[in-house]
Amino acid sequence: MSKILDLDVIGIDSSYSTNMKPAENIILRMDKKQHPFSHYYPYLVVSDNVKTLDGKTDLFLIDPFQRKDAIKRKIKRGVGIEVSIAFSKKLDASLVGKWLKEVKSIYEFCKSNNCQFVLSSGATSVNELVSARSFESLLKLIGISPINYWNEISEWLYTKNKARWVHAKS
Amino acid sequence: MLNHREKRRYLAIMYDDNTILLPFQLHEKIAERFKELFGAINCELAMLKLYDSKFGNILFVGCKLKYLDYLLVSLSMTQPSFTVVSLSGTIKRLRKNVSSLDIRNIKSIAK
Repeated sequence: MSKILDLDVIGIDSSYSTNMKPAENIILRMDKKQHPFSHYYPYLVVSDNVKTLDGKTDLFLIDPFQRKDAIKRKIKRGVGIEVSIAFSKKLDASLVGKWLKEVKSIYEFCKSNNCQFVLSSGATSVNELVSARSFESLLKLIGISPINYWNEISEWLYTKNKARWVHAKS
Repeated sequence: MLNHREKRRYLAIMYDDNTILLPFQLHEKIAERFKELFGAINCELAMLKLYDSKFGNILFVGCKLKYLDYLLVSLSMTQPSFTVVSLSGTIKRLRKNVSSLDIRNIKSIAK
C-alpha cells in the first residue's frame, strides 16, 4: 500500500500489528515502550495527553484547537508534534480555514523549539489513507515547502530509529 | 488566435466499498467540499469531471492541472474518505496504472 501512496514508510498502530509480517516500510506507533512487537519493528512512542508526556515520548498528537500553553512548558527538544488530517474532515469550511491557520502556527512553534512537525492522515482504515501527493498539496496550502518537510521528517525518523532499527535487524 | 488547450490531470480515487452513495453522488460530495473550501468560481474553473473507471470502488475524476492541488486538498478533507491511488495526464494511462495495481489485494486490506 505504501508504494501506491508513494510513501517510503507508513506508521501503524501497535494493535493492528498482530497479523502483519515485520517489514522495513512499517513503523509501529505505540503508547507503551515494552510492546512485544518492538523487537521486530522500528517504533515510535506516541502520546495524545500532555499529562503523560515524558522523556520517552517520541511523538505527541496535538489537537490544533487546544491551548498550547501546557505543551509549550512540557515539550522537549527533538519530540515530534503530530497533526492529524482526519480531524479536519468533519469540520465545516470556516473551521477548516482556522484549522489550517493553527497548523501553520504549530509548524512555526516546532521550528522555534527544535521539534519535528509531523502531518499524518490519522487513518483508521485503508480508505482513509492520504497519498504523498495529497500531503504535498496540503503542505503547500499551509505554506510549508514539501521538499524541506520530507527531508526533515526523514532525518528525524532516521535519528529516532537508528539504534532501534539496528537492534531489530540483528 | 491560438488553439490552446489547458492541461488536465486524471485521478483514480478509492472509496469505501460499504458506502451507500453512488459514484455520481460521491463526485457531488467532492465538488461540494471543493466549493466550500476554495469557492464556486475555482470549482467551475477546475472543470471537475467524473469518468467511468470500470473498477469497483474506484472513481476516475479529471480536473485542470492548475487546480490539482485544490482538488487533492479537498479530497483529503472530505467525508466520506477518499484515497488517491493514481494520477495521470491521460485517462488511458490512468486505466493502465490502476490495472497494474493489485486492486484485489488493496480491497482485502481495506476489509
